[in-house]
Amino acid sequence: MHEASAQPVVHRHAPPQGFIRKYVFSLDHKVIGLQYYGLALAAVFIGMVLSWLMRIHLGWPALPFPGLNKLSPNGAPGGLMTPEYYLSLMTMHGTIMVFFVLTNAPQAGFGNYFLPIQIGAEDMAFPRFNMMSFWVTFLAFVVLIAAFFVTDGPPISGWTAYAPLSAVGRDAGPGQALGQTLWGISIALFCIGQLLGSLNFISTTLDLRTRGMSLARMPYSTWAWFVTSVIGLLAFAVLLPACILLILDRVAGTSFFIPAGLVVSDKLQPHAGGSPLLWQHLFWFFGHPEVYIAILPSIGIVSHILPSFLRKNILGGARTVVGSLIAFGFLSYMVWGHHMFLSGMNPFSAILFSVPTLIITIPATIVVLLWLGSIYGAKIRFDSPALFCLGFISLFISGGISGFFLAQPSIDIQLHATYFVVAHFHLVMAVAAIFGIFAGTYFWAPKMFGRMMNETLAKWHFWLTFIGVYCIFMPMHYIGLAGNVRRYALFNDDYMIPMNPVHKFMTIAALATGAVQLIFLYNLFHTRFWGKKAPDNPWESTTLEWSTPSSPPPFDNFGGKYPVVYRSPYEFVEGGAADYVIQTSPVEVGTH
Amino acid sequence: MSESEVALGHAAVMEEPAYALPPKKLTVWLFIISDSLTFGSILFAYGYLRVGSTNWSTPFQFPSILNGMIMTFVLLTSSLTMLGGVLAAKAGRKSVTVRWMGLTALLGLLFAALHLREWSHMIGEGWRLFQNPTGGSVQFGAAFFSITGLHLLHVVSGVIAILVVAIGFNRGRLTEGHVETTGLYWHFVDVVWMFVFPLVYLMNAAR
Amino acid sequence: MAPNREPGLRFYVWVWIGLLIIAGVEVLLTYQGFSTGALLAILLILAVCEAGIALMYFMHLKYERSTLFWSLIPVTIFALFLMNHFWADALRLIKVRVVPF
Repeated sequence: MHEASAQPVVHRHAPPQGFIRKYVFSLDHKVIGLQYYGLALAAVFIGMVLSWLMRIHLGWPALPFPGLNKLSPNGAPGGLMTPEYYLSLMTMHGTIMVFFVLTNAPQAGFGNYFLPIQIGAEDMAFPRFNMMSFWVTFLAFVVLIAAFFVTDGPPISGWTAYAPLSAVGRDAGPGQALGQTLWGISIALFCIGQLLGSLNFISTTLDLRTRGMSLARMPYSTWAWFVTSVIGLLAFAVLLPACILLILDRVAGTSFFIPAGLVVSDKLQPHAGGSPLLWQHLFWFFGHPEVYIAILPSIGIVSHILPSFLRKNILGGARTVVGSLIAFGFLSYMVWGHHMFLSGMNPFSAILFSVPTLIITIPATIVVLLWLGSIYGAKIRFDSPALFCLGFISLFISGGISGFFLAQPSIDIQLHATYFVVAHFHLVMAVAAIFGIFAGTYFWAPKMFGRMMNETLAKWHFWLTFIGVYCIFMPMHYIGLAGNVRRYALFNDDYMIPMNPVHKFMTIAALATGAVQLIFLYNLFHTRFWGKKAPDNPWESTTLEWSTPSSPPPFDNFGGKYPVVYRSPYEFVEGGAADYVIQTSPVEVGTH
Repeated sequence: MSESEVALGHAAVMEEPAYALPPKKLTVWLFIISDSLTFGSILFAYGYLRVGSTNWSTPFQFPSILNGMIMTFVLLTSSLTMLGGVLAAKAGRKSVTVRWMGLTALLGLLFAALHLREWSHMIGEGWRLFQNPTGGSVQFGAAFFSITGLHLLHVVSGVIAILVVAIGFNRGRLTEGHVETTGLYWHFVDVVWMFVFPLVYLMNAAR
Repeated sequence: MAPNREPGLRFYVWVWIGLLIIAGVEVLLTYQGFSTGALLAILLILAVCEAGIALMYFMHLKYERSTLFWSLIPVTIFALFLMNHFWADALRLIKVRVVPF
C-alpha cells in the first residue's frame, strides 16, 4: 500500500513465528509489556515473602523460625534472626519492591502494552530497544537475586544504600562484600534499562500518534506514562554515575563517599576526603523523582479508568489533570532534600527543600479534589476496576496527609526514621500504586486476554485487601509518633514494650492480606486460560484500546488499518443509544 | 525516500512528528540530555569533593596542559570532519562521506591514544584512583580518572559507532539520517570535553 | 530542510576556528593569576559559550524548530542548576574535618 510505505516504518513485517521469537525475544510491545508485568509479579511475591519474614520477627522477636537456620545458617542461627539478617531482608524488600515492582509494572508493564494502542500506533518507535530494555531489566533482577546466594548474603544498607555503610566493604558487616557490589551492578543495569525505556516512550508518544490524535486528545494514562518517562530520563541519568562511584569506592579504593578517620569494626578504613552526604545528595536527587515515577502512572491509570465507571470525564478535564501531572514532574526535582533533613545537611538548605515540598502538595491535592468532585453525583458502576480506583484514592489521601507533616523539618526531627515515615510511603506510594496496578489489571484484562476476570472473586480481593492494608499501615502512624524507630531488628527499650502488641497485630494483618492475594493470583491465571470470553468493549469505554478489532489485539494492534481520531477521550453524552462516544467516531457533519 | 521526508508528515495516517524530527534524531537528542545529567552529576561530585578538600593538588605542569590543548584541537577538528561527513551524506556522496567519517574516527582514536599515553605517564608517576604521589588529596586521582575515564568510554564507543555507520552507509544499509544522528552524538562528546578540559585540566594547572 | 538554510562546510570552518580561539583564551587566562574562584567563574562562562556555539551550529539546534530548543535546553539547565544545592554541604565539609590519626 503506498500510504503504508510512506510513514515512519515501525515493523512492517510478518508476525513472528516460533516460540522464542513470539514469547521470549519478542519485539511486540504487548508481549514485552506482559513480560515486565510477569517480572513484577515474581518480584512482588519475593518482596512480600521478605516482608512476612520481617514482620514475623518484629511481632515475635524471641520466636525461632523453623527452617530459617537451614536457609541461612549465619544469618539465622538456631532460627533466630541476627540483626544483620533482618537488615538484609529489609534492604532486599525495599530494593525489589521499589525498583522491580513499582517502577516496572505500572510504567513498563501497562505503559508498554497500552501506550502505542492508546495513541493508535502499531508498536513502539524502537521495538528492538524495547526488547533490549526488558532483558537488561531482567538481567538486573537476576544479578540482584544472586546477592541472596553469595557467601556473605545480601546487603544490609537499605534500598537507599547510604554511605559509608554501603561503600566501605566487608568490614561494615555481612552482605557488604559481594552482596552490596551486586546490588550496585544490578541497579546500574536497571538504570540503563529504564533509560532505554524512557527514550522509547517519549519518542513514541511524540512521533507515532495516529491522525487526529493530538497531544490534547491523548488519554490521561498516556500523558502519565509520557511525563513519567521524562522524569525517568533525567533521574536515572543521575543514579547511574552514583552507582558507578559507589562501586569504585568498593572495589577500586576510591573515597568518594568515605571520610577520613572512619573506624569500622575496630579497623581504620584506608580512605580519606569523601562525603557520605554526597551519596545522599546524588541518591535522593534521583530518589525523589523516582517515587513520583512510581506513583504517576497509577495516577494516570486511575484517572483513565474512572470516567468509564462514572460515565463522565474527570472534573477539570485534560488541562487540569495533565497540568497537575506536569507540575508534579517539575516540582519533584526540587524537593529531594526532604529525605535529608536529619542528615547533617545545611539547615538553610532544609528550608529551600521544605517549601517546594509543601508546594508539591498542591497538584496532589488538586488531583484528589478533581477525583472526589467527579465522583460526587456520578452514577457509579461499582465494578472491580472502579473499586480499586476508589481504593487508590483513599490510600493516596491517607498516605498523602502524613506527607504534610513530614515536609516540615521541625516536625521531621521527631518523625524521621520512625514508623510514621514507613506508614507514609507504604500508603501513598507502595499500596496505592499496587491498587493502581490491580485496577489496571481488572480493567484491561478483557483486552489483554480477551476474557473477563471473575467479578465475585475480584470484589472479595478488593475488600479484604483494602481492609487488610489499612490494618497493616494505619497503626504505624501511631507507633511512629510514639517513637518506634524504623530499620531496627530488635527493640530493647522500655518504651517499646507496649508497642509489641501493635506489631503483632500488624503482622497478622500482613500475613492475612498476603494470603488474600492468592485470590487475585488464582483469578488472574484462571481467567487467562479459562475465563469467560469478553466483548470488545466490556466497560463501554471511549479510548482507542477498546477499538481494536480483537481482544487481545492483533499483532499490529489495529489489523492493518490506521485508526483516525475525531474526538477527545472520555466523551460521554446524554441520551442516544449509548451514553459514550469512542474516540474514533466521526463527528457528524454540521453538528459542531 | 529519505527518512526525514518519510517522517515529515504523511498526514494521511499519522500526526506530524514532534519538532518535525525523525524519531531516531529526537531520541539521540533525548539521550544527549540524559547523558549531560550523568556527566553533570559526576562533575558536581568532583566539585563537591574539591571544595571540601584542604589539600587539593594542582599537579598539571605546562606539558600536561599542552597535551590537553592538543587533545582539544584533535577533538574539535574531528567534530568538523564529522560535519563534513554529514554534509556529504546529505548530498548523497557515499565515498566522500566514508572518507570524512574515517578521518573523524581516526582523530577520535588519536584523542584516545593521547589520553591513554597521558594516563600511563601519570600512573607511572604514582597516580591512582586512590593515590596521590604528591601527598595531596587522594580525591584528585579518583575524580580525574573517573571523569576522564567516563569521557574516554564515550569517545571509544563513538569511534566504533562512526565506523559501523560509515560501513553501513557505504553499503546502502543505513541512511544519511544515521550519519547525522551519529554526528550529533559525536558533537556531544566534544561538548562534554569543553567542560572537562577547563574543569579538570585548567583548574588543576600548576600556576 | 530547505537547502539554502543549511550552512556549508566553509561556515563550519569559521565556527571551528572560533571554538579553537575560545579554547586558547581559556588556556591563556589560566595563567593570568586569577584566584581559584574567579578562574572557575571565567572558565565556566567560556565553556558555556563554547558549548552553546557547538550546540547551535555544529549540532544544528539553531536550524531546528525553536520548540526543540525550548523543550530540551531549559530543562537540562534547570536540572543541572538544582545540583547547586550541593555546595551548601560541600563548603561545610572543611569545618567538620577530622584530622587523620
